[in-house]
Amino acid sequence: VSPTPADLQIATFAIGEIVEGTQTGRDADTLVVSIPKLAVGAGEPALAEATVEIVRPGELVRIANVLDVVLSVVKHDDPSSTFPGVLGDTTSGAGSGRTDRLEGVGVLSVCDWLAAGCTQPEEFPDAFIDMAGPGQDATRWGTTTNVVLRCIPTPGVPLEEVDAAVRRSSLRLARDLASIVVDTDPSDISTFARPASGADPTLPSIVVILQIASEGPLTDTFLYGAHMRSHVSTRIDPLEILDGALTNGAYDWAAVRNVTAAYQDCAMIRELLAGHGERLRFAGLIVAPGYLDTAQEKQRSAEKSAELARRMGADGVICTTFSSGNSHTDTMLTVRACERQGIATTAIVSETNGGLTDHVPEADCIVSTGNEDTLIDAWTPQRVIGAEEARAGEPVPLWAYVGACVETGDMTWTAVPA
Amino acid sequence: MTVVHYLNQFFAGLGGEEAAGHEPVRVDGARGPGRGLVAAGLSIDVTLSCGDDRFGEDEVTSLARLLSWLDELSPDVLVCGPSFGSGRYGYACGCLAREAARRGIPVVAAMTPDSPGVLAAEGAAYIVPTGSNVASMRAVLPVVASIAERLAAGEPVGSPEEEGYLPRGLRQNVRAERTGAARAIDLLLAKLSGDTRTEVAPTGDRVAPPPPVEDIAAATLALVTEAGCVPQGNPDRLPTRHANIWLRYPIDGVTSLSADRYGSVHAGFDTSAANEDPNRLVPLDAVRELESQGRIGRVHEAFYTTSGVDTPVATSAKFGQEIAQELRNAGVDAVILTGT
Repeated sequence: VSPTPADLQIATFAIGEIVEGTQTGRDADTLVVSIPKLAVGAGEPALAEATVEIVRPGELVRIANVLDVVLSVVKHDDPSSTFPGVLGDTTSGAGSGRTDRLEGVGVLSVCDWLAAGCTQPEEFPDAFIDMAGPGQDATRWGTTTNVVLRCIPTPGVPLEEVDAAVRRSSLRLARDLASIVVDTDPSDISTFARPASGADPTLPSIVVILQIASEGPLTDTFLYGAHMRSHVSTRIDPLEILDGALTNGAYDWAAVRNVTAAYQDCAMIRELLAGHGERLRFAGLIVAPGYLDTAQEKQRSAEKSAELARRMGADGVICTTFSSGNSHTDTMLTVRACERQGIATTAIVSETNGGLTDHVPEADCIVSTGNEDTLIDAWTPQRVIGAEEARAGEPVPLWAYVGACVETGDMTWTAVPA
Repeated sequence: MTVVHYLNQFFAGLGGEEAAGHEPVRVDGARGPGRGLVAAGLSIDVTLSCGDDRFGEDEVTSLARLLSWLDELSPDVLVCGPSFGSGRYGYACGCLAREAARRGIPVVAAMTPDSPGVLAAEGAAYIVPTGSNVASMRAVLPVVASIAERLAAGEPVGSPEEEGYLPRGLRQNVRAERTGAARAIDLLLAKLSGDTRTEVAPTGDRVAPPPPVEDIAAATLALVTEAGCVPQGNPDRLPTRHANIWLRYPIDGVTSLSADRYGSVHAGFDTSAANEDPNRLVPLDAVRELESQGRIGRVHEAFYTTSGVDTPVATSAKFGQEIAQELRNAGVDAVILTGT
């Protein structure tokens, strides 16, 4: 069946190596990049410095103060519409047409807010990616070729403006790197069709509740470039999420935050689309706020999500979780609200040394994304990018590794009794 | 490779109940059940022992003596027991196991699952379950020897199910074959077909409410908080998150927590409103008023504080036990615990 224009096609270009050159281009699985031509940070007065370097798996490097990881993508037919709302205009919309994506590459934004005087000590915990050593496989991004964008804020510029500049710059870099390959042959093309309504009605109907959090500058999630601080549970097209509608601007708790790549390559959406019409009906996706402040907000969000899922015809719901602590209560209340609507529910949460952070009796079916307090053996990198020092020679808890225990279900860590 | 074995007075051959007050001793080689461990392939270099009553009645000194020998020997593994169903012996094994493990020494112990030694060990040791008496010796020793040998050699030890030790209350990370997303869908479809399974269940630690305070007008009341309330400047460096300490601050003669002297360093909530009036974190103003009206007996001399944000439950439980013990020793009858 040939794709219709309404479907999303993701063409992947396997990249094994990125080298610097004077001209940009692609030679088999080698991407040649001219860093000066990328002109990162140009037109961003909020950034005093924006530098790019390429870091490869096996290098004795720890990248610290990682803010976000972005997959390098570009809209094949209209590059200017990539990351609509942040970079491009939103008229052509994400979630249809062809998107070209570099495979095996991470675009990392790095900023030491503390050194720049923007945050207080201990306000933001460590966020590491190790390219070698015992922590390399803690995260998915220790084995990709990483293009690291390091930003230094211009003194005196409000934090929110600096952060917007950092986010624009990393998404632009992700777009421009992928633009290098648009005229070459992809390694693979996947077509993601919107779930057809005519699927076998005897198959169970599944809704996913994707939890996000948006609490303020440096802890925000963005939908089409707008922060989601007043977001109410809303149905959103899963193909739009795969295509850059949601971007990350939340930088606490590295292991359990959803980096932008976790939306772009969301395993949950891909699995549900793959299973649609085969063993389930994918009835849709709700983006729900978590990490809410008050009991009333938490209850409202849980009940709104459950009510929406019921109206979408859900027989079953999967609740994902964003971050640790507080948000686990949002997940548990959502599980309870769904179960009270008669909807069978599964939750995805991380664990700590003390087990679950919160629990309700209705949560009888839980996927664990691992114990984030587990210590990774001490390692001394040859070089640290993004910080003066970064726990070199000390054991590092897994919670400091970007995306290690992400509660969207993108990783394979789990925890067992010991 | 150095292996040390701990036994009580009876199994070390020092005597029966009449020797229960025996001071800690150190002898070379294997004694009693240690010979069974040798037969199972584990060489025992040194045996430590202490009378059961002696350990219970003089825990601090006895433990210090035993630990000083461990510091000197720096063994590759410590084996404790089997203590079977003996409560005093099991407790000593558990305490020694916990302290040795804190020094980085791997420990294997053996006792009944309900032995007080299991709790005392705090998950620090591999504990092989036994029956209540020596009849289970023959079955247990090879299991203990096998785990001990591998720990001493720095080799991996499998799961509780594979190896036959009691789950230590720890959750260890492993790689699943499939992503969390794929597993979640499988679990949900199974649940919808009537087969409900989970990868993790709650620990089930439910705290029973205590009986009401009989006479509040005669009671000593303490204030405890996890709101991160500390004197301005945070002189004792209470961590703002992942706290590893709790603190105590004197409030004798203080009638109210003023904003210029106290504030919150808690990283888990917006502290601006609370910092305008720290009494809303630790309600000293209100309880002083009740105290002056004679409606409560007395306010305890200090308030207790930590910052409860992303603190592992095990750490929180330990804080709670330590603070509760101190309050109980001080004769406190009731506590107002303010949370955030």
